[in-house]
Amino acid sequence: MIDFFITYRPVLDQILIVTGLAFSQYIALRAGVFSLAPAGFAALGAYTGAVLHMTYGWPVWLALICSALFGVFAGALLSIPLARLRGVFQAIATLAFVQIVVSLSLYAESITGGAVGINGIPAVIKTSHLLVFFVVVTIFTLIMNRYAVGRAFDAIRQEETVAVALGISVAKYQALSFAISGGVAGLSGGLLAFNTYSITPEQFGFPMLITAIAAVVLGGRVSVWGPIVGAFILTALPEIARPLAQQRLLVNGVILILIISYMPMGIVDTFRRYLAGRRQTSTAANTDVRRKT
Amino acid sequence: MFLQQLINGLVVGSIYSLFALGFTLVFGVLNILNLAHGAVFMVSAFVGLYVVSHLELPLIVAFLAAILAGGVLSVLVDFFAFRPLRKRGADEFGALVSSMGASLILISLAQQLSNAKILSFPFGTFPVVFFQLGSVRFSLLHITVILCMAGMVGLLFFYMYGTKFGRQVRAVAVSESTSVLLGIRPSAIYLQTFFIAGALAGGAGVIIGVAFNSVHFLMGEPMMLRAFLVVILGGMGSIGGAVVAGLIIGVLQVMTATYVSTELSDTVLFALLFIILLVRPTGFFRGLRREARVARK
Repeated sequence: MIDFFITYRPVLDQILIVTGLAFSQYIALRAGVFSLAPAGFAALGAYTGAVLHMTYGWPVWLALICSALFGVFAGALLSIPLARLRGVFQAIATLAFVQIVVSLSLYAESITGGAVGINGIPAVIKTSHLLVFFVVVTIFTLIMNRYAVGRAFDAIRQEETVAVALGISVAKYQALSFAISGGVAGLSGGLLAFNTYSITPEQFGFPMLITAIAAVVLGGRVSVWGPIVGAFILTALPEIARPLAQQRLLVNGVILILIISYMPMGIVDTFRRYLAGRRQTSTAANTDVRRKT
Repeated sequence: MFLQQLINGLVVGSIYSLFALGFTLVFGVLNILNLAHGAVFMVSAFVGLYVVSHLELPLIVAFLAAILAGGVLSVLVDFFAFRPLRKRGADEFGALVSSMGASLILISLAQQLSNAKILSFPFGTFPVVFFQLGSVRFSLLHITVILCMAGMVGLLFFYMYGTKFGRQVRAVAVSESTSVLLGIRPSAIYLQTFFIAGALAGGAGVIIGVAFNSVHFLMGEPMMLRAFLVVILGGMGSIGGAVVAGLIIGVLQVMTATYVSTELSDTVLFALLFIILLVRPTGFFRGLRREARVARK
């Protein structure tokens, strides 16, 4: 058992960090924001944490708080232009944001170390810290979903016109979701930096962006357990089935297409709908569940 | 110096336009943001390279083969990644995710088949000839690139505005349900649009492969990012807009790289994208759609 734990410890760390990114993606999607930004926030968080600790000698905990705060700040700022855009154009804008962050971190060599990145970061964040982060974020999201904020997010995602008619300020709530999304991803990035010794700009480009969105699509976009299950399967599958590890990208691509085509609600939400359908077979309940997705 | 850089920028810009034309066409007509467009472009460039280096056929054959390969591949992407979604009546999010998947598959396959190497066309595939005009030097390659772009844009214009098929495509762009009532088969329109888009990407693939003398599995990524900018700047599905936007981006990029810094040219381009989205989200040209639904109601 101990052996098992030691062997798979890096995988567990990775799963927990990917879950953080998936939560960031989930919170944005839940409020109907078509965001691809978590990778960009994670880059900001990682560099903020690493630079504050390495260059300015701030303690790690303070640097991590700044990672999260910087993520919140970037998310809130980014939500201003995004509020004017619709659907796919939000995706393009957030993609541009990720690209700006990556190319700036390549350019600002004196601060970020350019293409080499920042190396020799003390790996003080252990699995136990990541587990705490995971539990806190999960509980936070569960609580958020239970109260008015979560219901407002649901209303906006399902039917914006109705949400507006109910007196919900779309711009305000989407800004809120984006700030939270930024904070969670920023913190995940900071934790990543202090977990893996080094960070480089290309870590935060397309692959991370796709990992975050793939986890949420695979797991499900409504239930809180969706991003957790998605991140777990996506990260653990190549480790368990070794031959798949070399074909990681290929497998991710196939999973994305198959899931979005044939199980568009993702694993958890499909399963929950199935359970709900079994519990109450009345058509009213069925339509209710369907509308929720 | 300035004039020389302007010419270089226009050459780079014509390649961007050529690439982005297909992307903006699919986006404007079918309302699909096809993130696999860059991967189709990359695979076609490999096909062209293979025809030249292994089959030892002339470049023009490689060009045509890449165009065909791009078209067929693009139709296949539509068949496997988008058709199931259309049947289900899925939203834009589905198509975006699905095209990401298709792109991952193609890139991963190309990476393994090419061993992640940067390949290039054999020396002498394209004759190296230079012309001197005053203080400006330009090569035969530059002229060919610009002529190719002009030729393909001309063909596309003729197709879209001069033929019956083009009229049908434009009708679908305005309203798919109305055009079905008028007896247009949407599946035929999807097939054509994806084929043309892929063919344009394929042509651009070989041209870029020759012009930059490198073909590798990640070459689609920077092109895709520029294609977004072309769509935003030039309007959804606007052919003229895509050409002008592509040229502007090319010139801007070369100028930033020359006078400011190479690393910063990407930042400048994407900052521009943001500013345009903020100031004028509908772009500066009229697209195929009557009203481009970019901003919120």
